[in-house]
Amino acid sequence: MTAVKLIAREEWRMLARNRSGLIATGLLVLLILVAGFTSLESRSAIEADRTRYQASVDETFDAQPDRHPHRMVHYGQFLFRPIAPLAFFDAGVNSFTGNTIFLEGHRQNSANFAEARQSSLLLRFGQLTPAFILQTLAPLLLIFLAFASVAREKERATLKLLLAQGIGGRSLIAGKMLGHGAIALAVGLPAFALLLGFAATGAADWATVGVMIIAYACWLLLWAFASVIISALVARPRDALAILMGLWMITIILLPRALPEAASAQNQLATKIETEIALHRDLLKIGDSHDPDDPYFNDFRDEVLDRYGVRTVEELPVQYAGLVAIEGERLTTQIYADAAQRQAAREREQNAFVHTFSVLSPLIAIRQLSMTLAGSDPAAHQDFLDQSEAFRYEFVQRLNRMQAELLPEIGGEDPRISAAYWQEVPRFSYSPFNPLADRTRIIWPLLVLAGWLAALCVLALFAARRIGGVAR
Amino acid sequence: MNHSHSLWRAEASLLLRSNRNVLALILLLVLSAASVWSGIVQVQDQRATIERVEREQVRDLAAVEEANAGPEGEAGYNAYYAFMLTQDPPPPLAFAAIGQRDLQPYVLRVRALGLQSQLYDSETYNPELALPGVFDWAFVLIYLLPLVVIALGHDLVTAEREGGRLRLLLSLPGNGLWRRRVGLRYTAVLLAIGLPLIIGAMIMAAPAVSIATMILIAALYSAFWFGLAMLIGGATRASTTAAATMIGCWIILTLILPTLAQAVIARAVPVAKGVDLTLAQREVVHHGWDVPKEETFARFFVNHPEWRGQEEFEGRFHWKWYYAMHQVGDEAVAADVSAYRDSLKKRETMTKLLGYVLPGVGTMNVLHRMADTDIQGQLAYQDSIAAFHTKLRQFYYPYFFEEQAFDHSDFAMIPRYEPRSSGGTPPTEALAALAFLSLLVLALGSRRLLNAGREQGGR
Amino acid sequence: MTNIFTAPAIAIDGLHHSYGANPVLRGLDLTVQRGEIYALLGGNGAGKSTTLSALLGFLRPCSGSVRVCGTDPVADARAARSQMAYVPENVSLYEHLTARENIGYFLALAKAERGGDAIEAALSAVGLTQAAKDKRLSGFSKGMRQKVAIALALARDVPVLLLDEPTSGLDPRAVLEFNRLLDAAREREVAVLMVTHDLVSAVDIADRIGFLSEGKIEEEQTASTAGPRFDLNALHDRYTLVAGAPA
Repeated sequence: MTAVKLIAREEWRMLARNRSGLIATGLLVLLILVAGFTSLESRSAIEADRTRYQASVDETFDAQPDRHPHRMVHYGQFLFRPIAPLAFFDAGVNSFTGNTIFLEGHRQNSANFAEARQSSLLLRFGQLTPAFILQTLAPLLLIFLAFASVAREKERATLKLLLAQGIGGRSLIAGKMLGHGAIALAVGLPAFALLLGFAATGAADWATVGVMIIAYACWLLLWAFASVIISALVARPRDALAILMGLWMITIILLPRALPEAASAQNQLATKIETEIALHRDLLKIGDSHDPDDPYFNDFRDEVLDRYGVRTVEELPVQYAGLVAIEGERLTTQIYADAAQRQAAREREQNAFVHTFSVLSPLIAIRQLSMTLAGSDPAAHQDFLDQSEAFRYEFVQRLNRMQAELLPEIGGEDPRISAAYWQEVPRFSYSPFNPLADRTRIIWPLLVLAGWLAALCVLALFAARRIGGVAR
Repeated sequence: MNHSHSLWRAEASLLLRSNRNVLALILLLVLSAASVWSGIVQVQDQRATIERVEREQVRDLAAVEEANAGPEGEAGYNAYYAFMLTQDPPPPLAFAAIGQRDLQPYVLRVRALGLQSQLYDSETYNPELALPGVFDWAFVLIYLLPLVVIALGHDLVTAEREGGRLRLLLSLPGNGLWRRRVGLRYTAVLLAIGLPLIIGAMIMAAPAVSIATMILIAALYSAFWFGLAMLIGGATRASTTAAATMIGCWIILTLILPTLAQAVIARAVPVAKGVDLTLAQREVVHHGWDVPKEETFARFFVNHPEWRGQEEFEGRFHWKWYYAMHQVGDEAVAADVSAYRDSLKKRETMTKLLGYVLPGVGTMNVLHRMADTDIQGQLAYQDSIAAFHTKLRQFYYPYFFEEQAFDHSDFAMIPRYEPRSSGGTPPTEALAALAFLSLLVLALGSRRLLNAGREQGGR
Repeated sequence: MTNIFTAPAIAIDGLHHSYGANPVLRGLDLTVQRGEIYALLGGNGAGKSTTLSALLGFLRPCSGSVRVCGTDPVADARAARSQMAYVPENVSLYEHLTARENIGYFLALAKAERGGDAIEAALSAVGLTQAAKDKRLSGFSKGMRQKVAIALALARDVPVLLLDEPTSGLDPRAVLEFNRLLDAAREREVAVLMVTHDLVSAVDIADRIGFLSEGKIEEEQTASTAGPRFDLNALHDRYTLVAGAPA
C-alpha cells in the first residue's frame, strides 16, 4: 500500500474513533435527508395546490356567460407558476418571486403572493433544503473534521516522526487530502443518492442531475482541501480552526449578504410606479385613439380603409374599435416589453456584479449553479414571465379579433358573443425551462469552482514543501 | 478604588495585547459600522425613491387633471385615471433593522376601484439580491456578534490551564478575576457593536430612548452568548473542544433551529387565502356586469344606505353603478381578507413564541418590532391604505350619485394620503423573555465558571 | 487563640481527602515553621499536589485541619492566600507580556502592588539579565519562564512559599542560584514548602525532608547542624522503598 493511502486510511481510523465527529457527521446526513424529504413533500403540496388552482381558474374562465369580448379581456386569466421538479433540492429565489400572475389586456401586472412577503423574518435565516445544508453547513462539518489533520501532527511532534519514517511532505498532504476528500464526498452521498433517485423516476433528467452532483462534489472537496491545507500551513490546530472559521464566515455568511447591497446601491431599479407613469407617457406620445385629430390613429384608419377598399369606417366588414384594440394592444405590449427588458437587464447587471465576486466567495458560484440547475433561479422565473407575457398577448389579441370580426354581425345596444367562444381562447401551457439551454450560465460557475480547486492544489504543493522543510 | 482601577487597566491591556482578541473586536467594530452605514444608505435610497416617485406622481396627476377635470369633467373618469400615491417612509430605526423593507412595497398607488385587486401588488425588487437577506446592524448583532463572543470567551479557563497558569491564578488572594475578565470583554463587545449604532442614530436623528433600548437588547443578547461561553468554557478541558462546542451551539441556534421552525410554520399555517380572495373578488366584480344592476345596488346599500334612492339611471352604464360594483366586490371577500391577514398574523405569533426560546429569533423579533419593519409594520401600512381608500371612495360618491361636474377645484380636493405614524414600541413580553433567558444563562454560566475554576484548581 | 505571629506557618493535622471513592490523603500531619525549608518527597500519586491544593484552599478536606499562619484556607481562602505565594509546576506566565509586565500584572491581581524597584529586585534576584526583563515571554526558554514565576513569588514578599517541582526545568547552575534564593528567603523568616521527587536538590537545601507515601508522612528527617546535612545514601534507599520512586 502506498504511503498516501496509508495516511488516508489512518485519518479515517482516527475519525472513526472520534465520537463527536461521528455524531456531527451523522446529524448532518440526517439533516440532509430530513431537508430532502420535507422539501420534496412541501414542493409536491405546493405543486398540487397550483395545479388545482390553475384547473379551477381555467374552468371558471370557460364557464363565463355570453359577453362582449373586451369584458373577457379584462376578466383575464390567472396563471400559477409550476415549480420545477428539482426545486425541492434548491428552492432558489422561488420564495422571493411571486407565483401568481393576473393577465389582462393592456396591463402587465406583477407576479404576486411571494412566500417571503407572507412569512415572518424567520425566512431570512435560510430555507431548509438539501442545498442550504450542503452550501452552508457541510463546509463547517468538513472544517471540523479536517482542521487538525496536519496541525495536530505538528503540535504533538508526530509529524517529525512521520517524516523521519521517510514519508515526504507531498505524500503526507496528498494522503490527508485523499482522506478528507473521500469523507467530503461521503457526506454528499445521501444528497447525491436523492438526486439520482429523482432522475431514475424520470422527474429530472440525468444530465442536469449529473452536473449538479459534479458541482456539489467540487464544492465539498474545496472545503475539505482548504481545511487540510490551512491545517498544514499553521502551527497549531486552534489557529487552523480560527482561520477556517473566519473564511467560512466571510465567504458564506458575510459576502453573500454584503455584496447585494453594493450591487443595488450601484444600479437602482425603478419602482413599478415610475415605470407605469413613464409607460403611460410613452403611450400618449404615440397617439390617442379617442382623439379624432390624432395623427397616428388617423394614419392607422386610412391604412385600414385602404386595406379593405372602403371609404368610411361604417362600411368596414369588421368592427373598427376592435381593430383599434388590436393595434393598441400591439403598441402597449411593445412598450411594456421594452420596459420589462430594461428592468430585467438591470437585474441581470446587478446579479452579474455579485457573480464576479464568486472568485472571492465560491459560495456565489455554487449557489448560482445550483439554483440554475434546479430551475429555481431568476432566469427560470423570467422565462415563466416571458412565456406568460407571450401567452397574454396571444389570448388578448384573440379576443380582440373576435371583437373585430364577430361583433358587426351581432350588433345591437349590448353586443355579446356566445360563451362557447371562450373555450376557443388558448390556455396557458407551460413549457418547462431547460437549465442547460444557456451553457454559459453553467460553465462559468463550474470554471470558478474548478479554478478554486486548482488554486488549492497549487497551495497544497507549497504547503507540502514547507512541511518537508520542517524535517530538514 | 484606585487599586481596582489599576487592575481593570491591567486586564484591559492584557486583553488588547492578544492579537486574536484585538482582531475580533476590530472586526466587530468594522462590521457594525459597515452595517450601520449600509443601513443608512438603504434608508436614504428609500427616501430618495419616495421623493422621486412623488415628483413623478405630481406630473402624472397634473396630466390626469388636464385630460379629465374641467367644467365638463366627469368624476368617474377622474377616479378611474387618478392613481393616488401612498408612501411608507422608513421609520426612524429602520436603518438598524431593515427587516422586510427590501421586499415589501413602501410606495403603492391606489384608485377608487376595488382595493383588494390593488393592495397586494408587488414592487419591483431583484429576488436574487433579496435571497441572502439584508446586511444591516441587526444581522451583525444576531449572526456575527456571537462568533466574536466565542472568539473572546471560549477559552477563559481552558487557555489558563493550557498555559499552566490556572493554579497560580487561583492561588492568588485577589478576587473577581473572572468577573473582571468577562466584564471587560463584555464591555468591549458592547462598545464595538453599539458605538456605530449610536453614531448612526445621531446621523439619522433617531430617538435616543429607542436607541438605548436597542443597545439594551444587544446587551441582553451578548449576555446570553457570554453566559453560554462561560457555561461551555467551564465544562470543557481543551480550548479547541470549547470552541467547537460553542460553534456547534451557534449553528444550532442561529442556523438549524430557525430554518426547521420556518419549515414547520410554513406548513402549519398556509396562506393561500391571499390567492382565494383575489380570485373571489374578480368573480364578484365581473359577475356584476351580468346581474341586474338593482342586485348590485342592493348589496352596496347595505353598507352605504345614505345613497339609497339615488340609484336610478338611464342607459347601460353609469359610474355610480361601476364603482358600487367594485365596492361590492371588496365587501364580498371581507371574510377571506380577514382570514388571510389572520394567517399572516398567526405566522408572526408563532415566530414570536419561538423567540421566547431562541434568543437569536427573540432578538430579531424585538428589534424589528421596534423598527416597525416586520410583517406587522406592513399590515399597518396596508391598513392605512385601506382607510385612505375608504376616504377616497367617500369623496367621489357625491360626484357619482349626484352627477356633479368634476372641475379643477374638485380635483384639488381629492384626498391625499397621509403617511402613517410609524415606529413600533418594544414588545414587553418578548423583551422580558429575552432578558430572562439571557440573565438565566449568564447566571448559570458565571456559577459554572467559578466552580470550574475551583474544581480544576484542585486537580 | 492562635496568633498569626506565634502560630506555625503551615500546620496540617490529620488530613484526610479522597477524590470520589479514591482516598489520596489518609491522616497527613505536617508542620512547617517560619524560616524553615521543608521538602516533601513522594512518588507519582503519593498525594503531593493534593497537599498543596489543600493548603491553597482548592479543596474541602474530608476531615482534619489545615492552617496557614493560623488561617483556615477553606473558611477564608483570601486571608490564607494573602500569606502564601505559590509556584506551580511547568508554569508559564502570559507569553505576550514582558517579564516585568507579567510580574506587575500578577501582583496587581494579588492585590499586592509593589513599586517598580521591588519588581526589578525580584527579577534581578532570580538572575534575569537587564535585557530579558523587558522581553516578551514568548521568546523565553523553559528555565527562564520558571525564573519569572519564582521572581513573582519573591516579589509577593509573603511569609509562606509553596513550590511545586521548582527545579524540574532548571539546569544545574540555575538550581544553585535557586538554592541561594531559598537561603535568602529562610533568612527573611519565610516558611518554604517544596514538593518534589528530586531527592538531590532537596538534600542540598531542605531543613527537613518528609517522605509522603499512601497519603501520610511515612518518615521525616531533619538536617544535622554539623557535617553533611543528610546521609544521602541512606535517604535514597529509604526513598526508593517508601515512595517506589525511580532510582
